[in-house]
Amino acid sequence: MSAGTIVFIFLAVIAVAVLIYVVGAYNALVILRNQIKNAWSQIEVQLKRRHDLIPNLVEVAKGYMSHERQTLEAVTQARAKAAGAKSVSDISRAETALSGAIGQFLAVVENYPDLKANQNFLALQEELTTTENRIAFARQAYNDQVLFLNNKVEMFPSNIVAGMFGFRKGQFFELEEQSERAAPRVSFG
Amino acid sequence: MFWSVIAANKRKTVLLIVLMGFFLISSGSMIGMALADAQHPYAAGLIGAAAAGAVWVVMLLVSLFASDSVLLGLTHAREVTRDMYPQLINVVEEMVIAGSLPHMPRIFVVDDPSPNAFAVGKSPEKSCICVTAGLLALCDRDELQGVVAHEIGHIMNRDVLYMTVAATMLGSILFISDMFVRSFRYTSTTRLASRSRRAGGGAAGPLLIVSLLLAIIGPILARVLYFSISRRREYLADATSARLTRYPEGLASALEKIGQSPVMLSAAPSAVAPFYTVNPYRQHISSGAFATHPPLSERIQILRAMSHGAGYTDYLKAYARVTRRRRALLPPADLTERGKVDIRQASRDGCSAPATRAESLRRARDIIRALNDFAFITCACGLRIKVAPEYPKDRIACPRCSRVHSVQRSGAAAVGSVLSASSAMGAPAAARVVCPDQGGGHPSERAVQEARFVPGRWQKIACEICGHGYEISPRFSGKRLVCSGCGAVIRFSRAAGQGGGSSDISA
Repeated sequence: MSAGTIVFIFLAVIAVAVLIYVVGAYNALVILRNQIKNAWSQIEVQLKRRHDLIPNLVEVAKGYMSHERQTLEAVTQARAKAAGAKSVSDISRAETALSGAIGQFLAVVENYPDLKANQNFLALQEELTTTENRIAFARQAYNDQVLFLNNKVEMFPSNIVAGMFGFRKGQFFELEEQSERAAPRVSFG
Repeated sequence: MFWSVIAANKRKTVLLIVLMGFFLISSGSMIGMALADAQHPYAAGLIGAAAAGAVWVVMLLVSLFASDSVLLGLTHAREVTRDMYPQLINVVEEMVIAGSLPHMPRIFVVDDPSPNAFAVGKSPEKSCICVTAGLLALCDRDELQGVVAHEIGHIMNRDVLYMTVAATMLGSILFISDMFVRSFRYTSTTRLASRSRRAGGGAAGPLLIVSLLLAIIGPILARVLYFSISRRREYLADATSARLTRYPEGLASALEKIGQSPVMLSAAPSAVAPFYTVNPYRQHISSGAFATHPPLSERIQILRAMSHGAGYTDYLKAYARVTRRRRALLPPADLTERGKVDIRQASRDGCSAPATRAESLRRARDIIRALNDFAFITCACGLRIKVAPEYPKDRIACPRCSRVHSVQRSGAAAVGSVLSASSAMGAPAAARVVCPDQGGGHPSERAVQEARFVPGRWQKIACEICGHGYEISPRFSGKRLVCSGCGAVIRFSRAAGQGGGSSDISA
């Protein structure tokens, strides 16, 4: 075996190793991207669920709280805006506003004991609570995945593979902290 | 998810199945040889081995394919739908989303007044979660969520696979040894006697002893093996619960309520015991090899010590701090956690309770304490620690979550803070520890703590100096307890009746 052959074999081995790595990294990135899509669709399902819930809630509440037109309208409007939002950042902004409006609404409900005792309303309220929780948990799962993808896209050497095949960083789904805090804490005795 | 735990669970399941096969076939042949005629001991041994092998195969099939229905049948659980328990179903669905499980588990309810829960199933795709009616009645939404997340944690870590197989194996070993003892009892008087006469008692004697030993030791071995493995899983499932719900206090207060509940589980066969969130046989709570669950007080303290976040790393830190164990709960490679996991707020329902009479009494007593130069420390876990002026040290560990606070004497200024302090903190009476006047007369440096004892229910007391937890039985009749951790004395003042208990002011 001449020196040339040895060098050739050496280079071939390295080339194959690099190729294997690139294939692996590419597949990992694809899996991550699909997981993110999946997690996002889970969020969308839950947001839709919340949107569907609100008209019922307003309908039940209307009969009891005729003096609170403004609060109810704020909820309805926030819902309409959230339903029309398209991009991730728009959606997060609109949903944050909707959460705030719902929080306001639940705070006002405190003053209406009849409404609070209504069976339909209680069932709706449980649905609302679970939907809010689901949104929070789905958001957490989604953001975990996005962080994972972003790390891969930015870190060496996987960033080279990501750059070659055009993988971009994912966008976090944030519900703004401030308004979350501003939402009044409501207690149901 | 803990990959090493999942891998270990799968590995151990295979090992268990193989070991059980070996054990069953060998003991089957022994039993066959012991019971057979002396002319054909080996043929009889083969028959015994074949029979045991058949039993093993059946057991294996049952444990892999029908164990959930068997276990659920043993506990008389029934499957429920959304119309019956909307909140339960919602909570499970939330946790499925949080844990990214591929499928929704089936949900069962046991009509039992004792609060508890368990999960079965060999894979996350085919799992069932079962809660008791008592749990649903006792817990609010956050607490139920904590318990359900604990079960989801068992499912995610594949604990249920191993536990299901182990439970079935344990059950059948008990069954076989029972059969053997019975058959031995029936044959011993007639056939055995005639055979030993024929064989001159030569070969049958030792064999008989060996098979008897197998029959006796087998179940014990199975039990030790089965019980000693499930404690670490409980901690890990607690960690998963905190991480999924992002609210460790939910599970902590659920565990506290379960621990205080006087009702015992009636329909729990012993093979199912390790499945439950909390050991259904309360009298077995111990830290020996037979304990399937870690002490409840320790689990609660760990959860409450998680003040910085709800992630796995936070749980492990809290675990190390509370248990003071060197060995880490998990290999570091398993911690694939990214970023910080914040603790969320309590959910809306059930966060306020109307001030009861006991509440206002407590507040009145607090004012008197404040006038007497007691120091008040509000711990992050929600407990207000009341430190007597005579307390000798300047640091104190919270009896509820073992966080260490420094004691600052604020004098009469504390009165105002007591008056303004929110009463919704809800410090349970059982956990209130007051360090009373001890004076210098006491030998050595032994600190004396005072705790209120309410007869008629279980309660948990923790030494305020070293944080060592104790579970006090309702039948406890003593007046003092010497802490085995640090030698401090905990004195109990008895609460008279249910609402009373003013004795602790004068102490």
